[in-house]
This record gives sequence, structure tokens and C-alpha cells, in this order.
Amino acid sequence: MAERTLTFTKALNEAIHQGMEADPSVFIIGEDVAKMGGDFGVTQGVWNRWPDRAFDTALSESAIVGLSTMAGACGLRPVAELMFADFSGVCFDQLVNNAAKLRFMYNGAAGAQMVVRAVTGSGIRCAYHHSQCVEPWFMNVPGLVIVAPATPYEAKGLLLASIRNNNPVIFLEHKLLYNMKGLVPEEPYELPLFKCNIETEGEHLTIVASMSMLGMAQKTAAELKKEGVNAEIINPRTLFPLDKETIRDSVAKTGRLVIMQEGPKFMGSGAEIGAMVAEDVFEYLAAPIRRVTSLDVPVAFSPGLEDYINPKLDQALAACREILSY
Amino acid sequence: MSLDTELLKSLYFDMYAIRRFEEEVETYSKKGSIPGFVHLSIGQEAAQAGAVRALRTGDYKFPDHRGHGAICLCGTERRLVMAEIFGKATGINGGRGGSMHVNDLKFRNMGFNGIQGSTVVSALGTAFAAKYTKTDDVTLVFLGDGTLGEGTCHESMNMAATWKLPVIYCLINNHYAISTRYDESHPQKQLATWADGYEVPNAIVDGNDVEAVYEAVRAAADRGRAGGGPTMLELMTYRWQGHFSGDPAAYRPDEEVAAWKARCPVAKCRKALLEERKVAPAELAELERKADLEIAECVRFSLESPWPDTRAAIAHVYDGFEAEDWK
Repeated sequence: MAERTLTFTKALNEAIHQGMEADPSVFIIGEDVAKMGGDFGVTQGVWNRWPDRAFDTALSESAIVGLSTMAGACGLRPVAELMFADFSGVCFDQLVNNAAKLRFMYNGAAGAQMVVRAVTGSGIRCAYHHSQCVEPWFMNVPGLVIVAPATPYEAKGLLLASIRNNNPVIFLEHKLLYNMKGLVPEEPYELPLFKCNIETEGEHLTIVASMSMLGMAQKTAAELKKEGVNAEIINPRTLFPLDKETIRDSVAKTGRLVIMQEGPKFMGSGAEIGAMVAEDVFEYLAAPIRRVTSLDVPVAFSPGLEDYINPKLDQALAACREILSY
Repeated sequence: MSLDTELLKSLYFDMYAIRRFEEEVETYSKKGSIPGFVHLSIGQEAAQAGAVRALRTGDYKFPDHRGHGAICLCGTERRLVMAEIFGKATGINGGRGGSMHVNDLKFRNMGFNGIQGSTVVSALGTAFAAKYTKTDDVTLVFLGDGTLGEGTCHESMNMAATWKLPVIYCLINNHYAISTRYDESHPQKQLATWADGYEVPNAIVDGNDVEAVYEAVRAAADRGRAGGGPTMLELMTYRWQGHFSGDPAAYRPDEEVAAWKARCPVAKCRKALLEERKVAPAELAELERKADLEIAECVRFSLESPWPDTRAAIAHVYDGFEAEDWK
């Protein structure tokens, strides 16, 4: 496949265009997604090509997600946008009580096949209503799928797979990644959902990291390499339901686990990964599990305050070195 | 314009059957044969029968939590509905849903989801899908006077009105949201006028007059099919029992309850058939006997049906793979 360098934003945009080319039941809906092309530019050009398949709405997250849920149950494939994942609080009921339960309620005859794209994460100085990592809000709700790409290549492949999947997918786009560049094939392609990716193989230590944390994991591994340590980096790609097997196998091999996760530590995705490893492969562990996370506080606005609460490279390195020498 | 006598007779049968169905549900709920709680629709039969029968089978229906009667008229075999309320394996949803989640996609009964106001935005999705795929199926969503307090009602009507989506907001005003009267929680004297703010055509209808309900819903459906967008109907009625079976409803004045019972929708229709349409009493007695037998069969079937296999508890969570079972 021919590849070229694209930004994360452009890769997502290409996935939407190609998804819509392939299937007339795909449409986009949300606030400012049509004429403007999205607050972050992800849906640019869609309305120009398909004016009757791109819908700007009122500021009505419950209506956007409620409509998409049931349009999906009718056989369409909506791609809805939540301008910021934090706004999912407004339509929480539609996601957790409606979309998540629909297939169960309909005896498997139909379900809320839709993608809800949601802009997540901190780092651009926009305070606590535009910066949260919301995945733990939804990881306790069977029926939902939470997809979290970390690179432009993943952004395109996972979004196309999500559009074609029959489950309700909350597709998290970390705003710090939008300008990231990477090689992306021109042709449409899908990456598997519900499957972790082993980014780097190693035998001394397992690092689990997704979205913007993958970059920190890679920097950490590069530093450790200089010390003769080979870290295995696992990127979940789908946070929920989680591919537990790949993580368990890795920890069984390395005996050590560090989870890097943006967002509050308490009940974050890392808590479940840590508990799962402690429960299932305890006898392989050579050292305690460590989590490198944000503090358990709201995301503050002022740059120094926001940076203070988020996980940092020196903390990641310290956590790894500590369990390596345990 | 009045309805054809044959149609009115069938509506009478529907209402009488709803009444008998709900009486049996109440009996077996009190006996403990039905798990959980049930919301009965005795007193609201005309609103349910008139509305559902005015639609086509292919129209999308969202019943409300007091919706056993409406559900039974969508097309699903009545005994499969009752078995679901009993939580049995033979229930239309395999016992996963129970009283509040009976649905059947074959007949486009899209189901109630247990949260007030939630299906009011769901209705946008079916109406949108019909418009997107260029069919003329309309969507009817039942809501109550209490439901209108939910913010989703605003989001839904605003969007449906702006995009001219074929949604019929069928508000069954039974006066009470559990214990709170609608005029204690809303500033409007009549809730239908709430739709004026969205420039949505609306009407107040005698919800105990099945002919009036049928005609109002038919007109709203015609408007929706023709591209005229949403309609809001306020069907004035009353629930005879408490909010759930077992609620003594001490919050309502006895005189008020008595006055509404005197306006029984089933008796009203019966009287019209006998006195205005000159239908022979024996003919109505035969209809009633037929309904009695069918409801007795629903009860027998539900009582004798097995409980679901526990595998049903973990089925259909996701498409493509099964949820983990106990190891």
C-alpha cells in the first residue's frame, strides 16, 4: 500500500471520507461538524461532498446520541461527534442506559451500531470541562466499546473498523495527538478492535500505555535501553472490552508491570489492568505493579498547574527503575 | 366524522382486552408470580388503543412504562408479552427485560427503556432513519405528564421541529407523576401548549374517547407522512391505580378518583356501540368472552412456561463475541 505522512487529524478525516464512500448508510452528525468541518477540523470536506449526509445540530448532546443510537438500530451507521468528551456528561443516559443496553434489549436482533467520536484528554490549557479523560466513566458499562488510538496509522484503521462494527463505539481522540504526524496508507484499511498491539517487544518489563501516554512509554523505554533494559510496550487500542490475554502473556514473560495512564489514579483504567494482573498472573510477578497517573484532582487551567497534576517522564522512569531493582 | 362501526367494535375489543390483561397482571403481581414491580394502565385504555391502531404496522412505536396495553396491540402475540412480564423463557425478550422493556422489532415496537425522557430522543433516530431512507413511516412516542419535565423533551422537539421529522409526541396526561400533579410542576394549564414554543402543531384530546384519540393520531400521522413534521397530542386521562401495583395512591382525593372512574373509557365505548351504533348486546358479550378466553390463555401460558436458562443472562451484550461467563 502506498503510504504518506499525515497528521492524526487528517488520518481521521480520511477514514470518515472513505467510510462514507464505501457505505451510503454512514452519515455524520454533531455540533459544527458539517459546514465548519468540526471544531478540530476532523470532518472537513464531508459536507461539501455529501451535503445530505452531514448534519449540524443544535447544542443537544442527548438528541445527537439518542438519534444516532436509534438510527443505528434501524441499520444506519452514524458517526456522531462530541466536541469534547467532557460533554458526554450531558448525554450520559443515552450512552449508558440506552446505547449500551440496546442489543441486550433487542435479543441480538439489532443494536446501537454507531461511533461517538469524543475529543479527550488534557494538555492544551482548557481547564476541567474540556480536558478530562472520561474512559473510566464508561468502562463499567457492559455493551459499550471504548477505542483509543495513539498514532495517525491507528486513528485511520481503528476509526474505519469502528464505523463498520455493529457495537456502540466511543472513539476517543486525544487532543494532544491531533497534530502528530505519521505514515498512513492511502487505501482504506481496518485495524482489529478488541486487540492490544505489542508496540515493542522486550523481556525485562511490561509497560501498558494508550493514547498520549504511548509517547511517554516510548521515551521511557528509550532511556531504559541505555541501561540495558528491554521494555515491552503494550498499547491496548481498545480499552474496553480489554484484550486481557496479551497483557497477561506479557507480564507472565517479563514479571514486571508499569501502567501509564492519564487521568485520576483512583478507579482509572490502570486500576482494572493492575487488578486483573494481580488476580490472574500473580505467581509470575517479580515485583509490585506500579501505576504512573495523574493526581486525583480536577484538571486546572494555568499551565504550571495543569502540568503539575499530569504524569511525567521522570516519574515513569523512577517507577520502572524501582520495580526493576525490587 | 365518526369511525366505522366495525373499527369501533375492534377498538372496544382491544380496550376490553387491555383491561382484563392488566387486571390479571395485578392479580399475579400481588400473588408474587410476577417478579419486581408493574405499572398498570387501567383507565388509560382508550389512549393506548386509539393511538396504536391509528398507525400502520411499519410505523415506529415507543411505548411508555405504563404501556402493556399499547405493546399488546403492536402485533406481538399477547401471551408472549405476558410471559415476558412474568420473566419467563417464552417471553418475547427471553425474560431479560420484563414489564418495562417489552419490545419486538418485527412489529417496530422499539421498546421503553426505563428512564423517563430517554425514548423521547430515541424517537428522533427512527424518524430520522425513515426520512434518510426516504420511506414514509412515522414514529409515535408515548410520554407522560411527568416525562415532560425531562430536558430531553426540549432537545427532541426542537430538533424534530427544525428538521421536520415525522414524530408524534403522544403525551398521556394522567394527571400525576407518581404523587405530583402536573399543574404543580408545570406552568402551562394544558401541556400541549408547550409545543407552541417550537411552532409544533398540537391538540388537547379527550384521552378517554377512543374515537377522538384515533382520529387525532391518524391526522398527526398523515401530517408526518406528508412531510409536515412533528405533532404533539395531549390525551387527557387518568390512571385508576397507584403508580405501581401496591401503591395505595393516598395522595389523590377520593372524589377525583371516583369522578374519573365514572368516565371509564371502556364503558364509554360500550355505551356508544350499544346506544349510537345499535350493536346487539349479545355481540359485545361474545367479544368480551373471546377476550376473556385469550387473557386466560395468556395467564396459563405464563404460569406454565419455564424460567429462562441462565445462559440468557449473558447473551447479546455485544455483537461478534460473548460476554465472559463464570469460570
